[in-house]
Amino acid sequence: MPRFFGEVEALTRPKAPAPNPLDSLALKTGPGEKKLLLYVHVPFCRQKCAYCAFHSQVYNQVTAAWYVKTLVAEIGLWGRRLNRPKAETLYLGGGTPSLLSLADLNRIVSAARQSFDLDRDAEITMEANPDSVGDAGWFASLASLGVNRLSLGVQSLSDEHLARLGRPHSAAQATSALALARRAGLANVGLDLIWGLPGQRLQDWLGQLRTVVKELAPQHLSCYGLTQEEGTPFTRRIQAGELTLPPEDEQARMYVLGAEYLESEGLLHYEISNFARLGFASRHNSGYWEGRDYLGLGPSAVSTLGTRRFANARAMEDYDAAVRQETTGRDFEALDPATLLRERLMLGLRTTRGALLSDYLALTGKALLADKKALIQALRQNGLARVNQGRLRLTKNGMLVSSAIISRILD
Amino acid sequence: MLLQKNIRNFSIIAHIDHGKSTLADRILEVTGVLTDRDKKDQYLDRLELERERGITIKAQSVRIPYKAKDGQTYILNLIDTPGHVDFSYEVSRSLAACEGALLVVDSSQGVEAQTLANVFLALDHNLEIVPVLNKIDLPSADPDRVCQEIEDIIGLAAKNAVRISAKTGLNVDQVLERIITDLPPPHGEENAPLKALIFDSWYDSYQGVVVLFRILDGRVHHGDKIQIFSTKDIFEVTKLGVFSPDAVAVKELGPGEVGFLCASMKELGDAPVGDTITRPDNPVVQPFPGFKTIKPMVFCGLYPVEPSEYEPLKASLEKLHLNDAAFSYEPETSQALGFGFRCGFLGLLHMEIIQERLEREFQAKLIATAPSVVYKVDTIDGKTLEIDNPSKLPEPNAMTALYEPYVRMEVHVPNEFVGAALKLCEEKRGIQKDMRYITATRVIVTYELPFNEIVFDFFDKLKSATRGYASLDYEIIDYRQADLVKLDILINGDPVDAFSTIVHRERSERHGRALALKLKKSIPRQMFEVVIQAAIGRKIIAKERNAPFRKDVIAKCYGGDISRKRKLLEKQKEGKKRMRKMGNVEIPQEAFLAVLKVDVD
Repeated sequence: MPRFFGEVEALTRPKAPAPNPLDSLALKTGPGEKKLLLYVHVPFCRQKCAYCAFHSQVYNQVTAAWYVKTLVAEIGLWGRRLNRPKAETLYLGGGTPSLLSLADLNRIVSAARQSFDLDRDAEITMEANPDSVGDAGWFASLASLGVNRLSLGVQSLSDEHLARLGRPHSAAQATSALALARRAGLANVGLDLIWGLPGQRLQDWLGQLRTVVKELAPQHLSCYGLTQEEGTPFTRRIQAGELTLPPEDEQARMYVLGAEYLESEGLLHYEISNFARLGFASRHNSGYWEGRDYLGLGPSAVSTLGTRRFANARAMEDYDAAVRQETTGRDFEALDPATLLRERLMLGLRTTRGALLSDYLALTGKALLADKKALIQALRQNGLARVNQGRLRLTKNGMLVSSAIISRILD
Repeated sequence: MLLQKNIRNFSIIAHIDHGKSTLADRILEVTGVLTDRDKKDQYLDRLELERERGITIKAQSVRIPYKAKDGQTYILNLIDTPGHVDFSYEVSRSLAACEGALLVVDSSQGVEAQTLANVFLALDHNLEIVPVLNKIDLPSADPDRVCQEIEDIIGLAAKNAVRISAKTGLNVDQVLERIITDLPPPHGEENAPLKALIFDSWYDSYQGVVVLFRILDGRVHHGDKIQIFSTKDIFEVTKLGVFSPDAVAVKELGPGEVGFLCASMKELGDAPVGDTITRPDNPVVQPFPGFKTIKPMVFCGLYPVEPSEYEPLKASLEKLHLNDAAFSYEPETSQALGFGFRCGFLGLLHMEIIQERLEREFQAKLIATAPSVVYKVDTIDGKTLEIDNPSKLPEPNAMTALYEPYVRMEVHVPNEFVGAALKLCEEKRGIQKDMRYITATRVIVTYELPFNEIVFDFFDKLKSATRGYASLDYEIIDYRQADLVKLDILINGDPVDAFSTIVHRERSERHGRALALKLKKSIPRQMFEVVIQAAIGRKIIAKERNAPFRKDVIAKCYGGDISRKRKLLEKQKEGKKRMRKMGNVEIPQEAFLAVLKVDVD
């Protein structure tokens, strides 16, 4: 297996002051092995949503131009550092990538193709918001760039809920965006939805899922339980008692009954919050959960290469400086074998494939079923987990309390 | 030679916060015993905990030379006493070493309950009492009213009470004069065999046991052979001295004098408080009366929070035991709590003090189980067992009889609260023995009660029922057969030994229901259902259920989230370290205290 970083030293420009910190870094990927996953973070939004704590800023052309220029430089830098490695996916996420102009999107995708050996059948995903998509021609242009998977941030089919969430679009806009995408030949479209919203009832949610399945017929569906992010206006309103969440038991039924319904319609539950028709699970996201190497590009993006994890600066100035000085990735979190195994267990238990019992054995030197006998027994008796084919898998009810289960397994 | 007529041995009786320690400090300053340089507030309360709680745990003594207005020089021995019913035996020994006492009363607060038991104890020992009204500099002071109270409640002439401010030092000199004029000197026999009362002792890692004593008759010299009356053990005095306030060596001490000695004693049991010191070559026939072997009366389990802290905890208990003979400990194992110790105490305050000292001075993190008294059991194979841990009670069919300790308790209470005090005693299975008026407004009620009933929170309840105006004193009298049962708690079907208690059969169901409910509230909801059952033998008498929580999930975990989410889960785990796991149920420390705080009413 070639060590991609073996050549970094030679490629480092002589003016680089510090010894390159990445020279000992070895990728787990390689020819014949698993390939790199590429993530591009687009840090712009039309406006900040009331519930969102993600890193984003309001779009403006000047900053966007600066961003694209820096991003292209960063892509080039990594292409050189890693010697144009093979990549299997490209994911444009954010933020709202659909706010960028087609020309900018073209620059980014082209730069990625130039610096990375992107598979012919690479999964190229773009996130879009219903309010910032163009007409059928715009979708066709995306397709011609190679984008073959669209993830549409619908969040809700209720305009009332959308308004409360601070989303700048209507349910109708979402429906029409989806239709335009289909017309332009984008056959793999996924939607994001949120459940457990204030004022939402079980029947609302199940009804919404039925409409989505019957009328919008997406290939992929992400259903996220509303997360109260500290410091967001939405969370403040909940804490102040202005908004009331559905009772815990009703939320639990939204999740379990919703998931059962989706599966009955052929959308398979493959991760806590993700469902897909057979063959349409996100290859990119699945890669995260399998512990694959990924390279995150753009402000605040996180990468994991081998045993190193690092994040880009959030602020444009700092990000730009790091790219210019080629210091991106210099400060990293070293992941020791135990930590990597713990993460594999954590991520594995979040998927329906489950976690490998052999990972637990490797981590602790003990067999999980013997070491945590009482816990596993209780999990099985209470219908929260199953054990088969060398894996521990959580049931839907188990996934709903996965944080508690994972912390007990890793205890 | 020091003449007995120039000696005054006295202690100070006061309610907490009424200024005992401040007055003691002023006396030491006025007499020049304490210079500004060594001034440290409340000199007598040496332990950190004593200073903080404002109570005296161990007795102390200080020898104060004082030149009186009559031109003669006197030796005043101030013997400080602990001030709580748990230590009433030690208090009685300290008072027995004195001829007189100062009764310090706050001139705004007036006479308070806590003072009374000690005043009556002092009067029982025929001590002369000089009333002192403190804090007369406060605007709220009402010394005339308080004088009247002292006369009405205690029956002590208080017209000529000294009115002082210990804080400012006002009239403290008059207090000293009154000690000379009003308190009697000792009247020991110079030529009688040595008879000295041990009123305190402690362990010093360099000297061994340090014994505080008061000579009644005879004389002791450095190098003398002495004998402890109860054990007949003989020691040689290697160090003889007085505290003034620092230790000062002396060659000899005579009748009426107070001092300390060291005699190569290895443990406190070599010089039990209340015992008599005499000489092996010329022993006394009769020891000083009132000696009792003090035994721990209340037991609880103390367990380290972290199993790895077992050895450090053991070392801490050893150190504490060296200085506190009334405290006992021995290893025990609990299914629920692992390895720990069963510890014995004089009473509940003593227990709290030891726990606090362990946590403070030894930085031990503890889980304490509910306190229990010592039961006696006759078994079918003819043995008698002492049971200090409810979970160790034999099965009902293995016992022929079960006995519990009884106390005789005197409650001093103003007549308007008599009803409340009687009601409380009746609720606690008390048997009324006597009720008499000591003044027109003051009543002494005498009850016999099961010790178990007063061990938890009786004093607190009595105080709240009588607005703090009642005081109590008790002594263990005997063991009586009783219809008691062991109440077990099962969590998800498994008995948890640390939750077992012994209760009277009549109250068992009510108690069981209250305890199960209390536990339901103190055990948080968890991933699995938690079923809490109270059982007597095989019979379930109460059942509570905590439904499992349904939702504890992180919605998104993509590339940028992994480190953060992992740390979040690890942090969750840290927070659970203070929980005890019983099967799959995590029990917080507070739950082990819930057993204590069950209110059946």
